[in-house]
Amino acid sequence: MNNLDSLPKKKILSLFMTCGFPTLNHSKKIFNEMLSHQPDIIEFGLPFSDPMADGPIIQEANKLALRSKLSTQLSLNLIKDLSKSKNNTSFVIMCYLNTVRKFGLNKFIKNIKGIVDGIIIVDLPFEEESEIKKALSKNNIHLIKLISPMTDKKRAQKLLKGSKGFIYYISATGITGSNKLDYSEINKNVQLIKKKSSVPVLVGFGIKSKKDVINISKKTKADGVIIGTALIQKYFDLKMDFNKYLKYLKNFITEVKI
Amino acid sequence: MKTYKQPNTVGRFGEFGGMYVSETLMPLLLNLDKSYKKIQKDKKFKKELNDLFKNYVGRPSPLHYAKNLSKYINGPKVYFKRDELNHTGAHKINNCLGQILLAKKMGKTRIIAETGAGQHGVATATVCALFGLPCYIYMGSKDIERQKPNVFRMKLLGATIIPVESGSKSLKDAMNEALRDWIKNVRDTFYIIGSTAGPHPYPKMVRDFQSVIGREAREQILKVEKKLPDYLIACVGGGSNAMGLFYPFLNDKNVKIIGVEAAGRGAKTEETAATMTSGSPGILHGSYSYVLQDTDGQIKEAHSISAGLDYPGVGPEHSYLKDIKRVKYFGITDKEALEAFQTCSKLEGIIPALEPSHALAYLIKAFKNKHKNKVVILNMCGRGDKDLFTAAKAIGFDADE
Repeated sequence: MNNLDSLPKKKILSLFMTCGFPTLNHSKKIFNEMLSHQPDIIEFGLPFSDPMADGPIIQEANKLALRSKLSTQLSLNLIKDLSKSKNNTSFVIMCYLNTVRKFGLNKFIKNIKGIVDGIIIVDLPFEEESEIKKALSKNNIHLIKLISPMTDKKRAQKLLKGSKGFIYYISATGITGSNKLDYSEINKNVQLIKKKSSVPVLVGFGIKSKKDVINISKKTKADGVIIGTALIQKYFDLKMDFNKYLKYLKNFITEVKI
Repeated sequence: MKTYKQPNTVGRFGEFGGMYVSETLMPLLLNLDKSYKKIQKDKKFKKELNDLFKNYVGRPSPLHYAKNLSKYINGPKVYFKRDELNHTGAHKINNCLGQILLAKKMGKTRIIAETGAGQHGVATATVCALFGLPCYIYMGSKDIERQKPNVFRMKLLGATIIPVESGSKSLKDAMNEALRDWIKNVRDTFYIIGSTAGPHPYPKMVRDFQSVIGREAREQILKVEKKLPDYLIACVGGGSNAMGLFYPFLNDKNVKIIGVEAAGRGAKTEETAATMTSGSPGILHGSYSYVLQDTDGQIKEAHSISAGLDYPGVGPEHSYLKDIKRVKYFGITDKEALEAFQTCSKLEGIIPALEPSHALAYLIKAFKNKHKNKVVILNMCGRGDKDLFTAAKAIGFDADE
């Protein structure tokens, strides 16, 4: 069974968090808090030294995780431990290709099989995906596609063919944590995607507040949102006071579950 | 040997290279590739570039017989391909002119670049001044500190310097930030990459623009020596000056080719930039090539006294040439490079940049009392003015006295 195949029809909430941030022990507490809200999807970011498609906040989170000597194996163990209280929440890994490559694709799959429902490899364009996609699909793990406002129609058609799980639509032409949200542009592009694919379309990059979540739901045909940077940012705003941060997370997640 | 024809249409040099970037960048790179293919057939573009090479850069750069150094080595006849005499003091300008002409053709109105030593930053700022385009240079704060003269140059030329505080605060991080800027400003911005690194089509494009070095050298050496050189030697960071010299000779199987990496405090230490000697294949900045990485694939910080070689990756074409054994790569330490820096200055009256000082050091070390009657071309890809403070400090000379 793959939880991503039974996502709700509307208002899907996906929460992104970097594994091992700010340390492995703290990270467990954060993910447990997230899980207690039973979001539709949790995205586990595997820390990478050079996350060029992420903004400075997530890069900083990666840096802190790596500084506490977090290895890929420890991240995968963490995800496995958390899966005991997974219930209906879908588990998705978000990472860079070098992490998978160096760990070994087969070993990687062995570690996440039956635990993780989907994987987003940020720097793996669809032109290069065939080998990995095949291996993943054999093990009932969906390779989630990213699509950007720069992706033209012809390319989108090829990219969306046979897509599973959900489509990650990058709302702002920008890296994670950008500011501007143009709802009419988002809506236009989401509708184009929906014509070519039947899986849910989630809007990510730049979603910061309950207001943004409601607007996406009201003003666009998107099926849900992905929140990442906004979750992590607050830790730095709170001067790295972990207890305060955990309380904030509780309130914030309750709020964005519309 | 089969005729050398790399990369393939999707930017692969053997298994190396490719385009490993997020979907926000893919459409841009494909568009860039298309535009680049188009201008390659454009005669007007070629003429414009050649005219700039001649009258703005001062090409062809001379091929100087380094008589004193040759005598000192007591081995081969050494020629310097003097790209350090180019306008702006290094080979970087060759590529920048090519790319800014392309940017203009594509209708881009804003230029960004990364820089390590500052040579590529200066070259980019220069061409932006010439063509009247706003210029933003990403530079690691560590490099800003050690390359002050170039920082001032860029500012004089009207560029905005954006200090990069993330990671190791040097070239690799500057490139991460520049890529982020590009993703954010995809519509109006052209990213001028300075080395044969990054995703396709950059490694090919930069090599093509730099190969004017090798084409000239080939013609020049045939004129004076009536034969091809026995050896080519160049330093390799990302690898643009080396690819520029090597590329037009790759089919000449009797020409032995040597790339010299910066080994920092030693290729076996943690403080090195010798990617191909100490690294393994991995993905950095959108390209599959040799990188310095740990067992988890995390990219390590590089170390070299030369900011221009201080990069934990290397161009995919070098990775390929290493694996097919067409080019041999060796490491030279900071200390060895500094010695060669002084030797060359005293013997030839040419103060080399710390980057080609690595190539010089290898030449002196490996060719001493050997390979007599052979001919070597070394790419003198940059001048040492920018390194005076760094070198003075390392040698122990008080420049303020």
